[in-house]
Amino acid sequence: MKTISKITIGLTAALLLFSGCGSDSAAPSSSAKVAPTISEESLGLRKTDLYSEKSDTTGMQTNYSKEYAGGSHKIKRAFQDAPPMIPHDTDGMLPIKIGANQCTGCHMPEVAASMGATPIPKSHFTNFRPKGGFTDGKFHQGVDNYKNEVAIKETNHLQGARFNCSQCHAPQTQGDLAVANTFEAAYTEKDGASKSSWNGKKYTESLDTVKGGDNFVTDADVANANSPAGVSPWTKH
Amino acid sequence: MSLSRREFLKSSAAASAAAAIGMSVPAELEAAANTAEGGWRWDKAACRFCGTGCGIMMATKNGKIVAVKGDPAAPVNRGLNCIKGYFNAKIMYGADRLTKPLLRVDANGNFDKKGKFSEVSWERAFDEMELNIKKALKVSGPEGVGVFASGQYTIMEGYAAQKVMKAGFRSNAIDPNARHCMASAVVGFYQTFGVDEPSGCYDDIELTDTVVSWGSNMAEMHPILWSRVTDRKLSDPERVKVISIQTYTHRTSDLADTEIIFSPNTDTALWNYVAREIVMRDDAEKIIDWNFVKKHMIFAAGPVNIGYGMRRNTDKSIKEGKYTDLEMETISKEMKTTVSAKEGPALEPFGYKEGDTMTHKGGTLGHWEISFEEYKKSLEPYTLDYTAKIVKGDPDESIESFKKKLQELANLYIEKDRKVVSFWTMGMNQHTRGTWTNTLAYNVHFMLNKQARPGSGAFSLTGQPSACGTAREVGTFTHRLPADMMVKNPKHRAIAEKKWMIPAGTLNGVGKQHIMKIHRDIEDGLIKFAWVNVCNPYQDSASATHWIKAAREMDNFIVTSDGYPGISAKVSDLILPTAMIYEKWGAYGNAERRTQHWRQQVLPVGDSMSDTWQWMELSKRFKISEVWGAYAPSGPRKKALPDVLEKAYAMGYNKDTTLFEVLFANKVATTYKLDQKDPIQTGYDNSEGYGDSRNVVGSDGKVFNGYGFFIQKYLWEEYAAFTRGHGHDLAPFNMYHKVRGLKWPVVDGKETAWRFNAKYDPYAAKATNNGETGEFAFYGTLAKALQSGTLGGKDKSSKKVSLKNKAKIFARPYMDPPEMPDAKYDTWLCTGRVLEHWHSGTMTMRVPELFRAVPEALCYMHPEDAKKKGLKQGGLAWVESRRGKVKARVETRGRNRPARGLVFVPWFDEKVFINKVCLDATCPMSKQTDFKKCAVKIYKA
Repeated sequence: MKTISKITIGLTAALLLFSGCGSDSAAPSSSAKVAPTISEESLGLRKTDLYSEKSDTTGMQTNYSKEYAGGSHKIKRAFQDAPPMIPHDTDGMLPIKIGANQCTGCHMPEVAASMGATPIPKSHFTNFRPKGGFTDGKFHQGVDNYKNEVAIKETNHLQGARFNCSQCHAPQTQGDLAVANTFEAAYTEKDGASKSSWNGKKYTESLDTVKGGDNFVTDADVANANSPAGVSPWTKH
Repeated sequence: MSLSRREFLKSSAAASAAAAIGMSVPAELEAAANTAEGGWRWDKAACRFCGTGCGIMMATKNGKIVAVKGDPAAPVNRGLNCIKGYFNAKIMYGADRLTKPLLRVDANGNFDKKGKFSEVSWERAFDEMELNIKKALKVSGPEGVGVFASGQYTIMEGYAAQKVMKAGFRSNAIDPNARHCMASAVVGFYQTFGVDEPSGCYDDIELTDTVVSWGSNMAEMHPILWSRVTDRKLSDPERVKVISIQTYTHRTSDLADTEIIFSPNTDTALWNYVAREIVMRDDAEKIIDWNFVKKHMIFAAGPVNIGYGMRRNTDKSIKEGKYTDLEMETISKEMKTTVSAKEGPALEPFGYKEGDTMTHKGGTLGHWEISFEEYKKSLEPYTLDYTAKIVKGDPDESIESFKKKLQELANLYIEKDRKVVSFWTMGMNQHTRGTWTNTLAYNVHFMLNKQARPGSGAFSLTGQPSACGTAREVGTFTHRLPADMMVKNPKHRAIAEKKWMIPAGTLNGVGKQHIMKIHRDIEDGLIKFAWVNVCNPYQDSASATHWIKAAREMDNFIVTSDGYPGISAKVSDLILPTAMIYEKWGAYGNAERRTQHWRQQVLPVGDSMSDTWQWMELSKRFKISEVWGAYAPSGPRKKALPDVLEKAYAMGYNKDTTLFEVLFANKVATTYKLDQKDPIQTGYDNSEGYGDSRNVVGSDGKVFNGYGFFIQKYLWEEYAAFTRGHGHDLAPFNMYHKVRGLKWPVVDGKETAWRFNAKYDPYAAKATNNGETGEFAFYGTLAKALQSGTLGGKDKSSKKVSLKNKAKIFARPYMDPPEMPDAKYDTWLCTGRVLEHWHSGTMTMRVPELFRAVPEALCYMHPEDAKKKGLKQGGLAWVESRRGKVKARVETRGRNRPARGLVFVPWFDEKVFINKVCLDATCPMSKQTDFKKCAVKIYKA
């Protein structure tokens, strides 16, 4: 019992350390006696009365940057190769429509530098989708998915799959967060906070995820010997 | 921070003990190795969020996630994710993660429903659960123990929960939040195909010429599928057409060639209009593929006076007056309506006309065969004039322009050699005639022979990451068992009982406690114990005030397991800190039948443990002699449940045998070995298997050192057994760890692209003698023998005829929803999601980038409506229905742009608690709530 309580105390301290930034909820150590100390209102995102709607319950007001495109401070990427968020006012730039994608006007690589914009990286000009086809009227995949094959082709045009910029990139409200987040970015590149490094060899880096084993389906995998629970109850029905 | 945690553990007193106990714990070793190399560990995983089911690559360093990138090898998304997909990296690191069980107590530390929370041990938590479950079983029988389950459970968790509930407690009161998202699709599948889940796959997108989105904002809700649609559209902009059929303008319409804005609920009329064009023009234009239809289809109808899935006046809480007069204005429609001018013409072929009183009976799944002539009769009302008149949703659009769009729509479907995919999700499913609307979609595709073919098909998308995998395939619904088996079917129960090594007769054959019924049964006092798993029912259910009140004020015990304190946790009596997705081994199944597995990437935070562990620990607290005796009739079950203990003893169990020993740590399970030499397991944690370096003090007050066997693999294999040879074949566990998911049925190691098509589906090939007897076989078996009749009713003397290998085309009319705007509540309210947030926001509101993108739920409305009501852009307004009101800021120029008369308010925001306003009417057949329609008034706050 002694060791256990030591461990518990150690872990509690570690956790306090963990959640040290920003958490305002009461967090007594687990060795404290059982006592009614944590109120419902102290938990979660809504700190006001849940049971009625009064004037003090309102959403956190949106306050996007009003800085004009080209003159705004860029927002650090959240981690290596994370999609960058939009630092500037997007009023009048959205929605994106076919034939009307205003983002490309400034962010295409050939103009980005002169516009002070983050250039669209190579990955967005790369086609990752293998093209399947028909043989004798039957569709087949372009690559062998049982072997995790990829088909990666660099092109000179923005890929259709990446046309909807707003599916990954969003403007950001200023001010406080609802709750802090303890995630820590660990950039592998010096300029990782401002630039995508995901291109070339990096696309296929570490795709083989089974270490010390085959990274493709084998006959033995299909045979599934020694799985007594896996035997169908339907056979001979 | 991660470094300091490691350093801290090393230097603390805990470290030596942890090292002594945890020598074999791989995270520590792996972390050390990585630090030495300064490297990251990349592994594949599935995205936590929507039903698209993207693959991600996830990096960990020092036991924490540090990055996520798209997986070029993943067929679904090929190297691309959406904003939520990338930020999977941060979802587990909100600073207010729950780390200890919390129980409401009084000053003496005793449980007190009115008390504040106190941290308690896992042992105390399970003590309270055990006590309250036993109490509930005593008072209400198995029907008194309920579980709010989830389409976001891992497959193994859902399976474990189902086993304890159905095999252990003999309770079928387990139903997932997927009921709210997919149930109408499911009943649509069962009614049409006799078996659940889509015939098509995502390759349809690259192969089609036409994408029609029916009430689905795919651009925000299935962004990666939309990126594939966009790519297809841009690759051949002249040929490829995109039609967006919506109740308000949004991002999906931004890419469309044509947008059709329809009046809420009239999509049923629109489908029937397209069908009418097909049928009425067939003589002249030879549109219908009669060879296909005669060989593979029958026509069918069912009753129309089936209510709206609301409470009935025989319900206890209605009789007790728990509903206000205002609420009863709408609820009274459950018993009786007056046929309106709008729905009158559509109902005439079914024997009703405008002004008639329709007396409603509770929903029924019953239906019967009709002739083609009868079906044709049901379509007659949907002339262009009538359809345009009732369907047009934008008062500012001219009827002529609208009519042209309807004709274009029909012509695109009809055009020979034009491939068409119809996509839908919540718009068609969250609908008081959702089941009908789903079946109407297949009608059109079937008559044109544009179903189950590459590039063509009506394709129901799922909302949740494992609504298909866990909720539907595992059968985590009140009425289902794994792999399309039903609790009602004695043969199916017998198969499950045998596999689960439980006595014959253990399983309860009455499964009627769907998720809204669970809420209502709590309010009626039948359910005394309810456990929330991987969902947020106290935020996500319509008429929310009732359920919260029942939870807080009645004599019951509510438990919530979650990673974060959401609203459900806050209104619970006990909160359990729960491991999140990448803190455990798991698997999800997506909308194209693709199953994807992942390994545990990091250790859970604090003392949190997985749902699987929580169910297994709970099962240790129950001896079979405490749960397998006889039970008197209770709730929906009108017969007694038999005592099966003698049979259990004859099987070698004794009165002290626990459910844990029967259902989990049995002789089969323990053959699945933990083995760090197994390349699938090498270097990966398994907190359930080994315990882990946190040394969490478990349910018996001792450090949890693991079950000692590979529980996740056992659960997978046992569950998969039900699917194998039964049309749902899932592959062996190891296969999934080597590939980026497989689309079932996986037969002889090969996945299936298009179901029911003999070229692709081995089951269809078998049924057609390898295509010799036909190109298709709709081999589902449910309701495949029918009596016959007319639109007016069933001929009771008719004989049942077998429909083996056939599918059904249903006659189903347009009907009004139970609540529509009127003079007092003059505006439609629609709720739903936004791209950046997932469901109730418990995860995504804690990710800085996602929170900052959309920090609040806005009330999207037309600028003229705002002006007329004296509201300003960005100003606060009350949104009030007969049930309640909330405050939201007005947005008149955002991404959602409604026509006059409708507002959209998303539901992710706890502070804009829109489900207090929404109505809990459901499709009476599927029991899925219609979150898309109710009437509100809006005024300045």
